[in-house]
Amino acid sequence: MSIARTKNEQPKKRDYAMFDADISGAVLNMSLLRRLLHWLKPYSGALLVSTVLVLFASTLQVLLPIIISLVVIDHIIQGETSTDTPDFGLIELNTWLSNSLDLPPLIAACALYATIQIIWAFVGHAHRMTLIGSVINGLRDLRLDLFRHLETRPSSFYDRVAVGRVMTRVTNDVEALYELLRGLGTLIGEFVPFFVALAVMLAIDTPLTLMLLMALPLLALVTYYFRRSTRFLFRQVRQTISTLNQTLQENLAGLQVVQISDRQAFNLNRYTDVNGNNRAYEQKLARVETLYGAFNESLAHIAIGLILYYGASKVMTVTMSIGEVVLFTQFVGMLFHPVVVLGEQTNILFRAMASGERIFQALDWDEKIHEPENPASLPNRLDGKVEFKKVSFAYDPAMPILKDVSFTIAAGEKLAIVGPTGSGKSTLIRLLGRFYDFADEQIFLDGIDLNQIHTRDLRKRVGVVLQDFHIFSGSIYDNIALGNPNVTRTKAIEAAQTVNADDFISALPDGYDSALTERGQNLSQGQRQLLAFARVLASDPEILVLDEATANIDTETELLIQDALERLTQGRTSIIIAHRLQTIQDADRVLVLDQGQVAEIGNHEELLAAQGLYATLHALQFQSEERAEESR
Amino acid sequence: MRPQNTDERLPTKSMLAALWQLKQFVLPYKAGLFTGIGAFGIARLFEVMVPVLTAVAINKMASDDFEITLQVFGIILAVLARYCVVTFARFNVRKVALKVSYDLRQQLFEKLQQQGSEFFGQYSIGDMMTRAVADISLIQRLISMGTILVIILVYAAIVGFGFMLYYSPMLTLLLLPPMPIIFFYAQHSSKAMGEASEKVQERLSDLGTHTQENLSGIRTIQAMVQEDNEIDRFSETNQAYADVFYEQGRITSAMASWMPSLAAVCSLTILSYGGYQVLQGTLPIGDFVAFFMLVGMVVQPFRVAGFIINLFQRAAVASRRLFEVFDRPPEINDDPSGNTPTTISGNLRIKNLSYTYPGAAIPALHDISFKLQRGETVTIMGRVGSGKTTLLKQIVRLIDPKPEAVWIDGHPVKDYPLSQLRAQVAMVPQDPFLFAEPLKDNLTYDEPNRMLEKIWEAATSADLKNTIDGFPDKLDTLIGERGVTLSGGQKQRATLARGLIRNAPLLILDDCFSAVDTETEDHILSELKRLRREQTTLLVSHRVSTARHADRIIIIDEGTILETGSHEQLIAKHGYYAELERVQREGAEEDDLERLRLNIQ
Repeated sequence: MSIARTKNEQPKKRDYAMFDADISGAVLNMSLLRRLLHWLKPYSGALLVSTVLVLFASTLQVLLPIIISLVVIDHIIQGETSTDTPDFGLIELNTWLSNSLDLPPLIAACALYATIQIIWAFVGHAHRMTLIGSVINGLRDLRLDLFRHLETRPSSFYDRVAVGRVMTRVTNDVEALYELLRGLGTLIGEFVPFFVALAVMLAIDTPLTLMLLMALPLLALVTYYFRRSTRFLFRQVRQTISTLNQTLQENLAGLQVVQISDRQAFNLNRYTDVNGNNRAYEQKLARVETLYGAFNESLAHIAIGLILYYGASKVMTVTMSIGEVVLFTQFVGMLFHPVVVLGEQTNILFRAMASGERIFQALDWDEKIHEPENPASLPNRLDGKVEFKKVSFAYDPAMPILKDVSFTIAAGEKLAIVGPTGSGKSTLIRLLGRFYDFADEQIFLDGIDLNQIHTRDLRKRVGVVLQDFHIFSGSIYDNIALGNPNVTRTKAIEAAQTVNADDFISALPDGYDSALTERGQNLSQGQRQLLAFARVLASDPEILVLDEATANIDTETELLIQDALERLTQGRTSIIIAHRLQTIQDADRVLVLDQGQVAEIGNHEELLAAQGLYATLHALQFQSEERAEESR
Repeated sequence: MRPQNTDERLPTKSMLAALWQLKQFVLPYKAGLFTGIGAFGIARLFEVMVPVLTAVAINKMASDDFEITLQVFGIILAVLARYCVVTFARFNVRKVALKVSYDLRQQLFEKLQQQGSEFFGQYSIGDMMTRAVADISLIQRLISMGTILVIILVYAAIVGFGFMLYYSPMLTLLLLPPMPIIFFYAQHSSKAMGEASEKVQERLSDLGTHTQENLSGIRTIQAMVQEDNEIDRFSETNQAYADVFYEQGRITSAMASWMPSLAAVCSLTILSYGGYQVLQGTLPIGDFVAFFMLVGMVVQPFRVAGFIINLFQRAAVASRRLFEVFDRPPEINDDPSGNTPTTISGNLRIKNLSYTYPGAAIPALHDISFKLQRGETVTIMGRVGSGKTTLLKQIVRLIDPKPEAVWIDGHPVKDYPLSQLRAQVAMVPQDPFLFAEPLKDNLTYDEPNRMLEKIWEAATSADLKNTIDGFPDKLDTLIGERGVTLSGGQKQRATLARGLIRNAPLLILDDCFSAVDTETEDHILSELKRLRREQTTLLVSHRVSTARHADRIIIIDEGTILETGSHEQLIAKHGYYAELERVQREGAEEDDLERLRLNIQ
């Protein structure tokens, strides 16, 4: 079996709604973090350096208050030094400095302070740069991998999921992961000084330190409740703001309809409701935030009072120095701060968990077109004979689209497909480009089973022009050549001339070098169609498949298109979903599709004579041909 | 959405003028604002009690007096009082900011609804969204944070410096020199940050647009085997984003290193000169410690002021951009004469109508005159850009016509109340725009409380019934990205139903069949004929098969009427229309294009 799926095998049931659903990752998902490490691995060296630097910087940060309290106040001013107080050798260093440079000890302390401050600044900067550098690079790689994965998902995937939702995974969700990783980095930078400060405090006075630590559970509890209530409010604020913006955006996009429907007052009322809703949540959030805002600094200030009170009794019994009391007041902030930061990071953490899940869900989405194990090698030039043998197909097993469709197109033949909306015309041509998986032995190209040809090879031979042609960012020339080195500039111009596109291209200020925006807003619909023709002609496929556009095109442009189409199909097997009488009449044969089955097939005259569906359609399109004839 | 250039600078005078405009929005909440400012002042006094009492306590300890219960008690009381007052003050100020931004949003929405094609020819929707989102939030931040600036500057200077001067005037003066440096460094880096984050936003929006547009065209990309090229192209956009992101990180990180280092200059001054004074015995040790606690209070204003000056600058630009919209008069004035009939019967007269778009050299319409009697159906044909839509828009005053150029039932359209005109003249625009709402709400958009039967009736006439039956939620099906995406033809039929449901005396259809197949179009046209026998219909089309049903056909080219008459008359005339008919019936010959062009001349 050369292909993964045979006729009998049912396609995997997929819940596409899951892809669009909001995943709310409320739990800490360790496996997700582990998976994320895969993208950070290439930068593990830099991350290691960053970690070492943060430890160093944190230690320096703790040294600065020690210079003020233990070195200057205790040692230099008070002249007392307690040997069991960890001063990181600063007193000795200071003495050595003042002796060897012959400076007063106070000046030496100042020099020490300044030096440490400057080293801290550089080390801190180096730490942050190595950290964000690695994180940015890792996530850049992740984003590219994600894009690569999405770029190769089949049409069946994009039929079912909203492009906007897929896009936010590439942008916002990866963004949230950045916040997460940077947040984790920040936490390390908070906890190291915490532990160093804690060790120093414990060494100076254990009971006081333990007493201060007792405030932590209180702080943690308040922070927890604060974060919990704001998490809900934040979500509401975000949601109402986004509704607010959507309402405005839509109202502006459809303003003309709003005005001709006289709905301004009604819409303003609706907007007022949303605006009021948003303000109500914002106010609730403001209340909670302001209540919490001054809480932890107040707690730290109260702690200062307690330290002084306790410290006074200790200084009285000479078990503590004044400098040590001051050191406690300086360190108490470092003790409380990590809890506050941890609180700040939880919201980001939870949001990032959900984002991570969404990203990995997309990366794990393994829907694809099955490729043959041993793809058939195609000759340099195919004849272009296409055979449909009892083709049955359904997107959803409950709703068959094509039922036993059989027909053959001879090499070089031009076949027009007509039929009512929903008859399966588009599906037929989509299968020919293998945009969907179907069973083996149903469609043959020059006698080769289509499923035995790799899609990449196939699509180079089958040129498909869809109704919704995509314009790539770049110049007109880029859009015709599409990176194919065989399409030289001369060839591109030739192709454009052949399909009547040269006139309008040459009229553009920069000719073939004119930049096009994606979606091609700077071209009219007719011009876009002609450009799409030039593109497919330049790639010179053996088989042309075209879904004719039925857009707002005036007769003059339509004539240009018809004329171009005639040249495009010359000497090429062509299958066209036709909407215009002209196209149909020029076809060698017409296939009438009705409810997924071949209703009629034959040339224009034969079908008219048969008085079937084709004759009816034709009559509708040009009911009073005779009357028109008469008046001429 | 790409943020506009919000970091442009204004000269001080116009900056203040731009901010002064905001006073009408702020004044209603002045009570809350002044209460907040007053409370902040009181909070500062409580705040400064902590270092002051600490100084007293340490001084006592240094002089072997360990009875400091009173001071500790005072600290705790001051902290509690400060907590209450500062919370109250912050909440008050934030509330004012929220109310102002609420009012600004309301005003913007209301004003934008009164604008039309001229305005939106000048400004893009994205630009307006930036004003609604970024500019309003800048002003909100200015009020909630800018107030704090005033408070910090005034109170910190008075309270902080006041107490320091009391402790040691000389040391206080020595602390002053680094302050301007801190101020300018903060201002400089916050400007750099603003620029960097703007670039990040731009690149992020590029990334989003790139992805979105790429995925929208995924079928073509795969059909043309362009996946690898597109991945390479994405990689460039991705790298560009990573680069600016890194740059932003660098600026933030540098600031995180150097701002505390600059502030440390103050600590060094206290350490050296203060330490010297203590050693000399001229400064008590407690006051020395209090200096370290107070210096933060004094440095903070200069640190923050730099940021807030930038905030003022940016908010001034934001304010000017908002008032650009607020001060713009409505494009269409509703000024009814009062003597028009309450029900339009459907006689339309266009009399010497000319129109030139603002800034255009050539008129879009030149001296057009024709009449439509009640019950008539007329088709307008012409090339893309010949002025058809411009003409139709003037009937419902989406563009204001010259006075006395467009008449309905013997009155110029200007004389009708705007809402009556638009209620009784139903127009279906060329662009089939649907709102991201349930289908039902889209179909009965003008009158949300219509009976369900009416909606089904219109849907049936527009040949939409089978389509709706195929939807899981029928009429309640949500339209758009989060719901069902309709095909071009389905969209056109839905907007057509939205027009038909109004059963208006005058119906205007601007090329609404272009994406509908001929069979369906034929069905809809016969429905129109049946339903609108007594009413007037004006429609634009490119197809002869559509036009031939009409009582009369008007050919417009380059803004003037080229031919007019019934299908038969025009065929007999052997002009442009006859040629069009032949070409559409038989197909093009080599020289047809030339002949069509010749016919126009």
